[in-house]
Amino acid sequence: MNSDIIIKLENVHVSFWQNNVGVYSLKDLITQRKSPFKSKTIINDISFEVKRGESLGIVGRNGSGKSTLLRTIAGIIKPKAGIVTVNGTFAPILAIGAGLEQELTGYENITLLLSLYGIPRKNTNAVANIREFSELSDEALRMPVKQYSSGMVARLAFSISLANDSDILIIDEVLAVGDQGFQIKCVEKIRQIKNQGKTILFVSHFPDGVRDICDNAILLEQGEITHRGLAADICEQYKMLF
Amino acid sequence: MQNITRIYALSKRNIILRYKNSLIGFFWGFFKPLLYLLIFIVIFKHNSGIPNYILFVTSGLILWFFFSNVTGQSVGSIVGSVGLLKSLNIPSYFFPLSETIGELFNLLLTLLIFFIIMFWFGMDYNIRLLLIFPCILLFAVFALGLNLFLSSVNVFFRDISIIWNTIQPALFFMTPIGYAESSIDPKYKFFINCNPIYYFIKLGRSILYDPVAPSLQQWGNCLIICIGMYAIGHFVFSRLKNQFISAI
Repeated sequence: MNSDIIIKLENVHVSFWQNNVGVYSLKDLITQRKSPFKSKTIINDISFEVKRGESLGIVGRNGSGKSTLLRTIAGIIKPKAGIVTVNGTFAPILAIGAGLEQELTGYENITLLLSLYGIPRKNTNAVANIREFSELSDEALRMPVKQYSSGMVARLAFSISLANDSDILIIDEVLAVGDQGFQIKCVEKIRQIKNQGKTILFVSHFPDGVRDICDNAILLEQGEITHRGLAADICEQYKMLF
Repeated sequence: MQNITRIYALSKRNIILRYKNSLIGFFWGFFKPLLYLLIFIVIFKHNSGIPNYILFVTSGLILWFFFSNVTGQSVGSIVGSVGLLKSLNIPSYFFPLSETIGELFNLLLTLLIFFIIMFWFGMDYNIRLLLIFPCILLFAVFALGLNLFLSSVNVFFRDISIIWNTIQPALFFMTPIGYAESSIDPKYKFFINCNPIYYFIKLGRSILYDPVAPSLQQWGNCLIICIGMYAIGHFVFSRLKNQFISAI
């Protein structure tokens, strides 16, 4: 594989077992006498390459397979067919704080996620960086995350995903929640990361954000790539969907 | 090495979460066996005919509550970790595994206190007691196998956790913990023999209570059950794991 290419997808198919007509308990299974699951294709024969240092935007309607595509690239979901090759490391995908444990405090979440991501616990620098970037007070970080506002959760989640020095940054709709100040700061930070030569995968419903950050983009519709090209052009295509 | 750090971090999370916002935290782990011990003393002790009844019951209860806690916690471990599973590329078996390790840590602390307190209840301290560690290891691997099965099937059918919580008390009374094995009508002995937990409790009790060491056959039985359960759990789990994210 060419060393310039950091992510390569070849004819990737992903399918989910879909709950057939609402079977979710054994009672339903017994009384309905139907197979409880059917297979539904989410990603249908997708192939593309991402070069090192490229930033790729992924746009599409709700349910078009954007998040599934990101998770497949990150190795969280195994494709049913096709090959995903990745030549680098990932930051966790903390889509609007999904990976944060509600009952644990901010600090406890930071330590947990850092160790799950293989950053040594002695690295107090990482914790300090997260605290600084998130602008959350010491007091807030000692509170359980369930007491955070959605903006605070987004700040913490985004700051943690920046903490590990990975080659590929995956951003899934993080900018939707934080306040304007934080949004600007995030965009700034993403640009800075991009200038360091890192690869960025950016999912968003805001075409302007995609145009701002990304070089190229793809448009997904029902699990297939319908358009690909320069970010500005794809954003126009995306707007025409509505 | 990185995986060990991750499992350690998850186990630690489980221990923290279990006693979060509780006043006496870890001591709840002693409270439950103690309560059952008192109930058993009131109901069974006077005509059980078992010498040293308190040691007899406690040695069984400790192992039972390890089993009951670890399966009860693990059955929802995959469903409850949906956020992490969707954000990070970590093997999903880490979740039932770390629940098992967290509970194992609890068991070791309980055992330590048990060894101290049982001084007053006629425990015979000798080197043979160390056999409890291989016994616990077998029991834990058995429990892990069951946890893999329960936690993965529970992703698709949430009834599993309800069913499991319903049959647990039945299993408890099907295991001779508070009463002697000999007090069961031989007609029904078959049911006890079908209960896999019986073999582990019996092995543990042979080590902690009986004056003679457990027989090789006892070890053999437990080893076979342990390997069998782990194989089933592993098989079912690996068949289902790729669909966890879509189903949660």
